[in-house]
Amino acid sequence: MATAQPIEPDVGFLKQVMALGAHDAKKCVQCATCTSVCTLSTAETGFPRKQMLLTQWGQREQLLSDPAPWLCFYCGECSKECLRKANPGETMMALRRYLTSQYDWTGLSRLMYRSAAWELGILGVVATVIVLLFTLPRNFGFGLLSQAGPQALSSVMLNKFAPVETVHLADTTLALLLGFFLLTNAARMFRRLTRDDGIPLGTYIRYLPTLALHLFTQARWKGCAAGDAIKNWVRHLLLASGYMLMFTLVVIFLPWFQVPNDRLHWTSFLGYYATAVLLVGSGWMILDRARKNGEMYRFSHLSDWLFPTLLLLTAATGILVNILRVQDLPMPTYVMYMIHLAIAVPMLVVEVPFGKWAHLLYRPVAIYVEAVRRDALARGA
Amino acid sequence: MGSAVLSNREEKSLLVIGGGIAGVTAALEAAEAGASVILIERSPFLGGRAIALHLYFPKLCPPECGFEINFRRLKNNPRITVLTQAELESLRGKPGDFQATVRIDPRYVNDRCTLCGDCLQVCPAERADDFNFGLTRTKAIHPPQPMAFPAAFVVDRAACPEGCTACVAACRYGAIDLGQAAERRTFPVAAVIAATGWEPYDASRLVHLGYGKLPNVVTNVMLERMAATEGPTAGKIVRPSDGNAPKTVAFVQCAGSRDENHLPYCSSVCCLASLKHTTYIHALYPEAEVTIFYIDIRTPGLLEDFRTKVATNNHLKLVKGRVGKIEEDPETHNLLVTVEDALAGKKLTEAFDLVVLATGIVPRSGGLPAEFPRDEFGFLTNGTPGFYAAGCAKRPEEVAATVRDATGAALKALQYAMRSARHE
Repeated sequence: MATAQPIEPDVGFLKQVMALGAHDAKKCVQCATCTSVCTLSTAETGFPRKQMLLTQWGQREQLLSDPAPWLCFYCGECSKECLRKANPGETMMALRRYLTSQYDWTGLSRLMYRSAAWELGILGVVATVIVLLFTLPRNFGFGLLSQAGPQALSSVMLNKFAPVETVHLADTTLALLLGFFLLTNAARMFRRLTRDDGIPLGTYIRYLPTLALHLFTQARWKGCAAGDAIKNWVRHLLLASGYMLMFTLVVIFLPWFQVPNDRLHWTSFLGYYATAVLLVGSGWMILDRARKNGEMYRFSHLSDWLFPTLLLLTAATGILVNILRVQDLPMPTYVMYMIHLAIAVPMLVVEVPFGKWAHLLYRPVAIYVEAVRRDALARGA
Repeated sequence: MGSAVLSNREEKSLLVIGGGIAGVTAALEAAEAGASVILIERSPFLGGRAIALHLYFPKLCPPECGFEINFRRLKNNPRITVLTQAELESLRGKPGDFQATVRIDPRYVNDRCTLCGDCLQVCPAERADDFNFGLTRTKAIHPPQPMAFPAAFVVDRAACPEGCTACVAACRYGAIDLGQAAERRTFPVAAVIAATGWEPYDASRLVHLGYGKLPNVVTNVMLERMAATEGPTAGKIVRPSDGNAPKTVAFVQCAGSRDENHLPYCSSVCCLASLKHTTYIHALYPEAEVTIFYIDIRTPGLLEDFRTKVATNNHLKLVKGRVGKIEEDPETHNLLVTVEDALAGKKLTEAFDLVVLATGIVPRSGGLPAEFPRDEFGFLTNGTPGFYAAGCAKRPEEVAATVRDATGAALKALQYAMRSARHE
């Protein structure tokens, strides 16, 4: 055994995690029921008991290099069975919020997770920029609304009003920007998780398919213990497919996707599918959260609400744009288009790399690192 | 001083509710100090939960030993009226001057019974043996437990076939009267001692632990009966599924206790009980591997020494971690226990032949007069003059502590009775 080291608790860290939702973490008596009822927890990677202890003892550094918070899909069985009602499931959720705020190198996440005002403020600033792009007088070089010209005001001509090349360029830039932040944040997490591992690069390369599998399928969720795990997984998978599809359509296929009024391209049908699952999926999630239907939804942080709400609003305004367009109401269509973008753009540039959405990479990276570690452990043994 | 009690006893008694170790002790201590006592017990025998144990603390002797002495003291003391199958129906008046009405259910067997057992030969009906937690069955007419006091059989009329009188015909002492009816008696009472005891937590409510569905998951109170020489297995601890001796046994501590979903409090005796049960197992099977899964091993006071002694056994493992799940291999009925060894930080699933759930203590405090204050968990507390609680109805405790507690309650009740007699 190593020589005993005095433990330096980071009390500030504990307070922050508690403020992010781990209100009951201090009630834990380390009975370990949680780990034994968790069906995702394994012999090598036991959680959440260990994370409860590390949280209570303010062991921030250890938790920053711990993939376990992301290995949990919050079925809530641990919280249900917890002897002291310490809500380990919610502590894991709070840890994910905290870690999201820490892995981001810009500091924006930290501000957003520390205060609702910052989070809403940043979203509001980006939304305002979008609105200004449309409404400022044209001599400022903006004013898309006034640039449309008299022709576009007599009948809906979306491509006149918002030329597809311009929009395409804008959203490609946007995608590159958010991709850059998301990837650098995820890389930072990856480094933090693996820096002390000393596992050969070859193992990491061999396990890349695991990374892809979990990025695209979230298959680990199926292993959750709760009765509604499969429902939650399928719903999330549909939502994620709709989201990824829509993102691809807008970023890569926009020249075909944003077509004149009377023509349909094959991408339109993909668009309908994506819109439908986004609308139903996010609406259903919001409903479940509002009704506290299931352990996962018993406690809600602002970030949990923003995430599906912005998605729902994006999908809803997208549909409205189409309805208004088909009704041939030019100005209402353009205004709705502006609103649509004023919701979708902040959602994408703020929430994806800096908000709850970042889990789309953090989770698969953690699962990947854990698989690599397990492989290395098996070889070592 | 003595005269006050003596004069008091002519008209007013102490009422002791519950004939377990607490109630019997309180009744004896008060009566031997000169008070007259009405001792009522709702089951057909005295001794309660303690008499169902195989061995008890502090000396690990069989309870028959202590109870034999206590029963002799009872028989020899004319100041104690013992009523079994009796419950307090109403308590009128005020402290110091109560009228206690007791309903006594029929036993259907009178004191001419010699326990000869002729009736057992002819009785056609069977019932689950509640004294042995259903591990075996008895006839409808049966001795309530092996060393029954009062020493008479009892008839479970609910189990009798319609119109059957076989036992009446077989009894050559005329001890059986199936026409007996319940009766009521009223006593003047100065103070009441509640020693209503406890019951084991219903382990079937711990759904992940499989009790009631998996035959080889038993409770600690069942293990006591199996270990008892006069118990259902004649002292052998065996697997209920096949009657075989277990080679590996797991104890699951805090089965219901310290659990806000079940019993939020520590039942305080179960750790000690499981350590004691380990000694039962090793007395029968010295090579059996025993594991106790615990949150904390709590053995207060001198009992720490017992823990230290038992823990030196190489065939006992103490593992910190509460068991979350028990499953079964349907072929062998062996049990798979899932738990995290919290000190090693390793989650494991281990196979065992037999699993014992260390179920906790639930106070039996229902049906008592409202003057008995109760805490948030239903345990009785003291506080109302004239009403005193003793034993496990007041707090979870082992036998020796119960005896001390009951003696104290008897003294409190006596003091109150004397004071109120003086003021009359």
